[in-house]
Amino acid sequence: MIAIEASPRETKRRRSASDGVDALAWENLHLKKLAILTILVLSAVTLLRAQAGAPPGAAPGQGRPGGRNPAQKEAEAAAADRGSTLFKENCAVCHGENLTGGRGPDLIRSSLVRHDKNGDLIGPVVTGGRADKGMPAFPFTQAQVSDLIAFIQAQLALFDLHTRFSPYPNDIPASRLATGSVEAGKSYFDAHCSSCHSPTGDLAHVASKYNPPDLEVRFLYPSGTPSTAIVTLPSGEKYEGTLLVNDGFNVAIQGKDGWYHSWPSNGVKIEVHDPLAAHEALLEKYTDADMHNIFTYLETLK
Amino acid sequence: MKKLLALFALMFALTFVSAACLPAQELDPSQILKPPTNDWPTFNGDYTGRRYSPLTQINKDNVGSLALAWAFQSHSQGLQSMPLEVDGILYISGGNQIWAVDARTGRQIWHFVRPGFPPGGGNKGVAMWKNHLYMNTFDAQLLCVDAQTGKMLWQVQIADPALKAFGTVAPLVVGNHLIEGTSGDTADLPGFLESINPVDGKIEWRWDSMPKPNDPAWNTWPHDTDVITRGGGMTWLTGTYDPELNLIYWGTGNPHPVENGDTRVGANLYTCSIVALNPDTGKLVWYFQSSPHDTHDWDTVMTPVLFDGTFKGKPRKMLAQANKNGMFFVLDRTNGQALLSEPFVPANWFSGFNKRGEPIPAKDKEPQPDGVLVSGGVGTNWQAPSFDPQTGLFYVNSRETMGVFYLTMPGKNAEGWAGRDFFLGSKSMLKAIDYQTGKTSWEHTANGRGGSSGILTTAGHLLFTADDAQNLVALDPASGKVLWHMYPGGGLGTGPMTYELDNRQYVVFPVDGVVYGFALPEALSASSPNLGQ
Repeated sequence: MIAIEASPRETKRRRSASDGVDALAWENLHLKKLAILTILVLSAVTLLRAQAGAPPGAAPGQGRPGGRNPAQKEAEAAAADRGSTLFKENCAVCHGENLTGGRGPDLIRSSLVRHDKNGDLIGPVVTGGRADKGMPAFPFTQAQVSDLIAFIQAQLALFDLHTRFSPYPNDIPASRLATGSVEAGKSYFDAHCSSCHSPTGDLAHVASKYNPPDLEVRFLYPSGTPSTAIVTLPSGEKYEGTLLVNDGFNVAIQGKDGWYHSWPSNGVKIEVHDPLAAHEALLEKYTDADMHNIFTYLETLK
Repeated sequence: MKKLLALFALMFALTFVSAACLPAQELDPSQILKPPTNDWPTFNGDYTGRRYSPLTQINKDNVGSLALAWAFQSHSQGLQSMPLEVDGILYISGGNQIWAVDARTGRQIWHFVRPGFPPGGGNKGVAMWKNHLYMNTFDAQLLCVDAQTGKMLWQVQIADPALKAFGTVAPLVVGNHLIEGTSGDTADLPGFLESINPVDGKIEWRWDSMPKPNDPAWNTWPHDTDVITRGGGMTWLTGTYDPELNLIYWGTGNPHPVENGDTRVGANLYTCSIVALNPDTGKLVWYFQSSPHDTHDWDTVMTPVLFDGTFKGKPRKMLAQANKNGMFFVLDRTNGQALLSEPFVPANWFSGFNKRGEPIPAKDKEPQPDGVLVSGGVGTNWQAPSFDPQTGLFYVNSRETMGVFYLTMPGKNAEGWAGRDFFLGSKSMLKAIDYQTGKTSWEHTANGRGGSSGILTTAGHLLFTADDAQNLVALDPASGKVLWHMYPGGGLGTGPMTYELDNRQYVVFPVDGVVYGFALPEALSASSPNLGQ
């Protein structure tokens, strides 16, 4: 994630003149979660520069992601790594290993941290301490402070990205999901799945092909698998292929001849074969234990 | 002298008459109190949120002839703005931009782009008060724009974008007040509603989604941590208003941290609630919590729809909502008492109802590190439902889903989003719900998986929406029979709206970056008087 490089300096309300930020093209948004993702990106990239007293057309922030090259990203990651070590050695005892606080305040939700710009707010607290609150001064060099800030910003970005957006977090370890029984999973598989699937055939080594959460979601419902259809015309002529449209007004398939064909729905006979029908039916019946057992079994198919 | 006086009198009279004949392009807030006929002056058309128009020129007998009257190209993708229409002008918004468009022809009058900001992304719509328009932005500012010129007059900061607050909601105008909500789920911040002075943007009152220590609701949070300050309860969709009871009704979002309840044992009021507030003071009059102690992101922001009628033989002032958690609720809107609580899609996340009619969450369906299977989720989303007083049916575009919920940040140190969910095998359908029983009277599907568009009903015995295969459709609201359809080349990002100008009724659909205006062919319009006025 990108460093927050332009933030409002104050949270109180104000009338403000608008001024310049970078243009960023972004996508059509339909759902709240997508809007939130946009906010994550936008807030980091084009976050409002409309500050009281800021002259209209003030220079946009620097270091936006569009302008970063791989070398810069690598340098930032290296700085965050050095900062991580510094943090663990000096700060974690009070602020927690993952910044969520302990004896000292939670830094993830700290207003000061959220409004920091290149260390201008965090830096003085680190080097000067907060004697009144029991925080000692840390005699870090400017470079060390920068590393610390890089780490803190990376942690903030990680927390903020901790949403359901694929691929983050897609690193749920198999050990966390494999809480069931291999035997129970196998017997469920033999009873319900083996008429279509085989652990030595189509599912051979399946656990090596997908990461754990993807494997679980795919065995529950491998969405994206298209239906097929046979369309019979009034003349008796039959067309078979991948079903593309069947909305009650028109039916369209990609035929076995590779061509697109469509007809008005009334007047033709449509037989749909949904390969996911069996999965859909099972989806309503699985208990949570079934899910864990099947996953635990499939995870053995390395 | 007499002649001169007569001339003056004549001039005076002419001035007066011509002034009276000039169309008032402004929107006097008292106009919103009248049901929409010629105009569509607010997000939901009127205060009730029924999205029911009394217009009848387009009706079930002639809707088959509905044809394109005009199209407006915004050249901006993914519009999800509900247009307003006031005195022949449409006001349509997108992120950081507004268009004023001739409602007869679709021609652009002006295009406002916020100076220095990239236009694009979603915005739910603008509000109009007198000659001003109001729009929220992704950096949580409220903009005031001159409706005549499209020039920005001022902006005020509503919430702190550094804490990931943002705004897409269309404010609600109540008299000389703007009622305003906010959004944001990422970094644990509390929600609120504010009344804002439309002249200068100053706050008149603020109601916080988090209770104060002197409120019994304070006890629905633990106080050995500061979790109550992390909040939730975002107010990100426009509410409704009953002028007689003088109450505004608004839905609140989920609590924080999202999908992890470990650190916030209790019901967590006033998150996932419908709240009734006095619009003059911001004081809470009643609440109904649709998802106590939510751990599934079941925001309750869906429109609280207001209508009067009988319930079990007794006349009632009611409020109905089809909730994201898959439940259909009917409340007595004078006091918040639940009259009916009934799932409208299969739902396994609750174990029953408490005596207030609120669902009791099933403990074993809270997100777990190894995942749980949850049905009922995202039964519907923010796109508007509709209530047709002629049929007594409540219409909602619904989904039947099975979700897998993982707790990815267990424990008490979780922040922001602490879980991850996947929704599998969703079936979409438009449902017509009998408010007396909560049972589905009819349903319509186009075998797609998209169905999440808003709905409009009219006194012409019509229901307009987009089906789950993205066709724009007109259905018979009594039976669900399809009377007209058209594929517009994309998804209906919000819902349809309607208005009438020069005895011609238009139905408007914003689809991706294009706004389509449909009407009867001109010859048919002329011979088909509008009985609705």
